[in-house]
Amino acid sequence: MTTQNIIEISGVEKRFGTFTAVRDLNLTLKEGEFFSLLGPSGCGKTTALRMIAGFQDHDAGSIRIGGQDMEHIPANKRPTNMVFQSYAIFPHLNVGDNVAFGLRKLKLGKAETEERVAEALEMVELGGLQSRKATELSGGQRQRVALARALVMRPKVLLLDEPLSALDKNLREAMQFEMRRLQQKLGITFVMVTHDQYEAMTMSDRIGVMFKGQLKQVDKPEVLYARPCSQEVAAFIGGMNFLDAAVTGEVNGKLHADLQGFGPLSIDVNPNVARRGPQLLAGIRPEQLEISAQKPDGYDGYLQGTVTNAAFYGENVHYHVTTDGLSQPIAVSVPNYFHTVDHKQGDPVWLGVQNASVIDLGAREA
Amino acid sequence: MAGFLRTEAGKGLALSAPASLYVGLLVAAPLGILVAYSFWTQTYVEIDKTLTWANYLEAATDPLVRHLLLRSILIAGAVTAATVALAYPIAYFIAFRTHKKTLWLLLITIPFWSSYLLRVFSWKLILGFNGVMNSALISLGIITEPLTFLLYNEFAVVLTLAHAWAPFAILPIYVSLQKIDRSLLEAATDLGLTKLERFIRVTLPLTVPGIIAASLIIFIPTVGDYVTPSLVGGSQGKMVANLIQVQFGPANNWPLGATLSLVAMASVGFVAILFVILATALGRRIR
Repeated sequence: MTTQNIIEISGVEKRFGTFTAVRDLNLTLKEGEFFSLLGPSGCGKTTALRMIAGFQDHDAGSIRIGGQDMEHIPANKRPTNMVFQSYAIFPHLNVGDNVAFGLRKLKLGKAETEERVAEALEMVELGGLQSRKATELSGGQRQRVALARALVMRPKVLLLDEPLSALDKNLREAMQFEMRRLQQKLGITFVMVTHDQYEAMTMSDRIGVMFKGQLKQVDKPEVLYARPCSQEVAAFIGGMNFLDAAVTGEVNGKLHADLQGFGPLSIDVNPNVARRGPQLLAGIRPEQLEISAQKPDGYDGYLQGTVTNAAFYGENVHYHVTTDGLSQPIAVSVPNYFHTVDHKQGDPVWLGVQNASVIDLGAREA
Repeated sequence: MAGFLRTEAGKGLALSAPASLYVGLLVAAPLGILVAYSFWTQTYVEIDKTLTWANYLEAATDPLVRHLLLRSILIAGAVTAATVALAYPIAYFIAFRTHKKTLWLLLITIPFWSSYLLRVFSWKLILGFNGVMNSALISLGIITEPLTFLLYNEFAVVLTLAHAWAPFAILPIYVSLQKIDRSLLEAATDLGLTKLERFIRVTLPLTVPGIIAASLIIFIPTVGDYVTPSLVGGSQGKMVANLIQVQFGPANNWPLGATLSLVAMASVGFVAILFVILATALGRRIR
């Protein structure tokens, strides 16, 4: 894989009146990368995507695509194509004409146009459906047509605005893998906007997490999950137990801290942490905790508590455990091996945690 | 009886009865009477009710009927073309370029707050020999003699009708423009089209139903209009409805009037269907 930069965004800002939708956006994307902008609705991720596409001007900073400054290049001249959230399939045209829409402008000649349309439809597994009416398509098919219509233009960057949000769960999961496969096969840079953390994690090479117009962290999915930069990011991606800890010392990149409920532990310093405070905020993923009726062996920290809630989720079982002095119950998730819920509400239990499972999150956010 | 009303069919009939009665009495019955009259003959003061094709034969052979019918269709066609062409940019402006849509739509309906007759008379005042237009042009020194081609001809009829029917064209076109999903326009831009290309390949084909609706709403009633041609049309602006009016009035030949009405109706229907087929086919050709 080449390591050439395809998109370079620096210091980009977008204001709507007095509201700043995107502030100081800096992002460099490599050629052939699948990148997701993840964040809650209204965080500015769609605005950022629309600025790359050229549907929105930026008020400050610069956007470069393929080394070229996009400042005065209108949307119809940019080397990007977009898959819209609503798919924007032209209702007056059939599938073939929808896919050929952008090619007709290029005046490639009938044979080549038809060949490229057929190839694009084949790619999204809609081969031979050229004459199907746009109004007769299912949601999944519309999504594929939108994908084919954009890819047939052979863009340098494909932009996807919440491409799967209109599909039902099973179809969405199937399309996640299919889009990933397509992206890897074509080697085109995909930039996807989504509010669905699982979608972002399963499909992307890297994810950028956005809150209130600011890009907070850009990392690989596994790094984002294991070393989130703040409480905000940690809370948005996966489940997380937040516990206060009093730092007693720091040796060789390890924080010695007294963790609320669990006692003294040695926590790896998280290099991503942006903000430090007098007190440490630590995080533990629910699936990294051991739960047992007897005290389990070989853990670095223990907590003795009572089950307040037990729920069977299918692939795993969720427990809530509480003890004196905890403001929030601790969530524990155990893989479902034997289709049983081992601990009932009110049962006394032991929780065990390893040093490595405790995540340093810096300071608690107000 | 009460039992029948409780069945599905009975309920349906009962529910549709008021509408059926209304349409039956006010549309079907008069039309039936018209058809009946067209096969009868006027004999001075009486109506001879022996069925005959004579009226149709007369309508088909009389060059005046053919001439007036053709002129009516041409004038109505010109009115339709002019009105739709002028209405489209206005509808486009309201749909895409302004946030004060309600205000603009209200402004467009303002002419309707006055009587149609008054509006036609205003055009007489504007276009007349000593009218607003001529006095203005003379006082500006652009012309020395009043222009006589402004009033009492086809031009005056087309102008007056185009003005009167403008809102009927603006509204359906506005609705069809308003319905267009804005992301379709962005998608067209994204796929490389300029604004003009986008208009021709996306906006225009998607508004074909609105254009057809506007055209029919204007074309069908204007073919049969007789107030406007009799007030501003002069002798060369007369239309088929004026001839029909003469048959029911001064000429006192109701059967021939009925025949002419039906012939006019059939011609309008034929032209309208032809237009719908053509416009739809043209819209489909744009890809």
